[in-house]
Amino acid sequence: MTRGARVLLLGPYVLLLAVFFTVPLLLMLAISLSRQSFGQLEWTLTPQHYIHFFTDAYYLGVLADTLWLGAITTVVSLLLGYPLAYHLALTRSRWKPLLIVFILSPLLVGIVIRCYGWMILLADRGLINATLVQHGWLTTPLPLMYNKFGVTVALVHVFLPFMVLSLTGVLKRIEPQLIEASQTLGASPRRAFFEVTLPLSLPGILAGSLLVFSLAISSFVVPILVGGFKVHVLPMVVYEQMLSVFDWPFGAANAFVLLLISVALIAVYIKVTERALRGIV
Amino acid sequence: MEQGDALTEAPRASGTVTLTNLAKRYGATRALDGVSLAVAPGEFFTLLGPSGCGKTTTLRSVAGFVTPDAGDVAINGTVVTRVPPHLRHVGMVFQHYALFPHRTVAQNVGFGLRMQRVDKAEIARRVAEAVALVQLPGYGGRYPGQLSGGEQQRVALARALVTRPAVLLLDEPLGALDKKLRDHIKIELKRLQREVGITTIYVTHDQEEALTMSDRIAVMHRGRVEQVAAPRGLYETPATAFVASFIGNINLLAGRAAGSNTVDCGSATLAATGAAPAGAAVAVALRPERVRLDPTGAVDTVLAMTVAHVVYQGETVRYILKSDAGLELQALELGEVRFTAGARVRAGWAAADAQIIQEGIA
Repeated sequence: MTRGARVLLLGPYVLLLAVFFTVPLLLMLAISLSRQSFGQLEWTLTPQHYIHFFTDAYYLGVLADTLWLGAITTVVSLLLGYPLAYHLALTRSRWKPLLIVFILSPLLVGIVIRCYGWMILLADRGLINATLVQHGWLTTPLPLMYNKFGVTVALVHVFLPFMVLSLTGVLKRIEPQLIEASQTLGASPRRAFFEVTLPLSLPGILAGSLLVFSLAISSFVVPILVGGFKVHVLPMVVYEQMLSVFDWPFGAANAFVLLLISVALIAVYIKVTERALRGIV
Repeated sequence: MEQGDALTEAPRASGTVTLTNLAKRYGATRALDGVSLAVAPGEFFTLLGPSGCGKTTTLRSVAGFVTPDAGDVAINGTVVTRVPPHLRHVGMVFQHYALFPHRTVAQNVGFGLRMQRVDKAEIARRVAEAVALVQLPGYGGRYPGQLSGGEQQRVALARALVTRPAVLLLDEPLGALDKKLRDHIKIELKRLQREVGITTIYVTHDQEEALTMSDRIAVMHRGRVEQVAAPRGLYETPATAFVASFIGNINLLAGRAAGSNTVDCGSATLAATGAAPAGAAVAVALRPERVRLDPTGAVDTVLAMTVAHVVYQGETVRYILKSDAGLELQALELGEVRFTAGARVRAGWAAADAQIIQEGIA
């Protein structure tokens, strides 16, 4: 096939991307810099909405909460996912395919259904609290839902597969002989893990963390349903501004703040991995 | 004694490895089936055999990665069968070197010392010595990925030796290198081993490596030790048909023992060395280079044969001979081609050059 023909084959996708992604994104950027009066957009170039965002304690608080939720979700996913990935990478069990299905199962259930599932478990009269109260172990129900705890639990549940799969791929490629070599040199199994396995799995940790973090800070349905509008995150603010308040310029500015933070994180990630991967790839 | 003093000055007299009746099963296969060996201090001891013969499992039981179902492993007279690898103090070089890719050469070599909590200055001193010993000075700051296969091999060796282990284990360390480099490193490895004086167990499937480097060789087959001998003894007086055919090229002529030092192979009576009960099924093992064609000197057996094929190999010529009764024999000669296919020759040998091997010994 000639070069021209191959480029031509890319055409439909490039067109799709341009029309439905690049153009709307540029439009959003333009809107975030425009002014709105009496429901009419005036095409200007004003940073006022960004200034508004970064000077209002409420929005800064929402930003901090969003990043905090992302960080907690990432750390918990990593702590839960690492042992899982380690087992998955090393097991020779014939049940391995089933194990993978179990790990992926949260992704097979619709997001709304999954959230209602958590509500049944975590609500004040949900399964957990009802059981505890009924047996007289508690007098008042534990605050499991409509707070950051509940949202974190639900977010970890969905995003854990991304962490596990990122880690498994890297852990599987670590030569078992490297662990053995460290052991003949006097490293206990524990020491061998911290000296060899952990540093060599760093690329997987970074990839999985970035993926989970960026998914978590942009999640919308989970904070609304499990957080019950009591946990405020940035995607929710964007939604409110756009569709309840109809302040499109400010909503667009919020969305761009979120986007820029994600892009900045990816840039930092690439820089850090380059250094951490020294000698590994 | 100018370089690597610290490595050579350590007392080495106690580096023994003793294996007693090791057995290990994996499912239905017997990986080890009663392996007993005694490796002497400072010895270069090779485990030789085809893949799946149990040589690697034996080595890994010495390292501690395999726990035998039965039998014992002793290092320096201490039974370590249940001791985990990191407490055994053995040095090991793996087939693909297993250098830590995220650490520099100096960090790789110093790893064992760091595990022993040797202080930093001492580590730096001993790492520099070890790197000099394997002739890689100035390589300390490089990463394994920046080294050639041969260089990685030498780093792996330095890393294994720097902690002054009781025994050095080598698992097919030349397998991943090309032929020319292999020949060079073979000599280098042997020099280093003699210089350091460390007891060494070497695993290979390559008989040439085994014959050129070893003090003694154990030939393994199906989880058992077939024979333990010095290279020359193994080549000249193989104990079993397997050893005879695994090491070099050999003629194995089946027959029955008939009195002392004679074997009746049906069509002829052959002179050979070795004892077997009269009537027992035996084989006569005869190296092709010991077969003399149209012999002028004294020989103990002469057979009239026809040259079936002539294989020209440059410095040697191989003749495939057949007798009228169907007996087949190979002969190897140095120098020019003396016979052509179809020629009638007399093939002879001295009884001392032919070994009687009792089948069923293995």
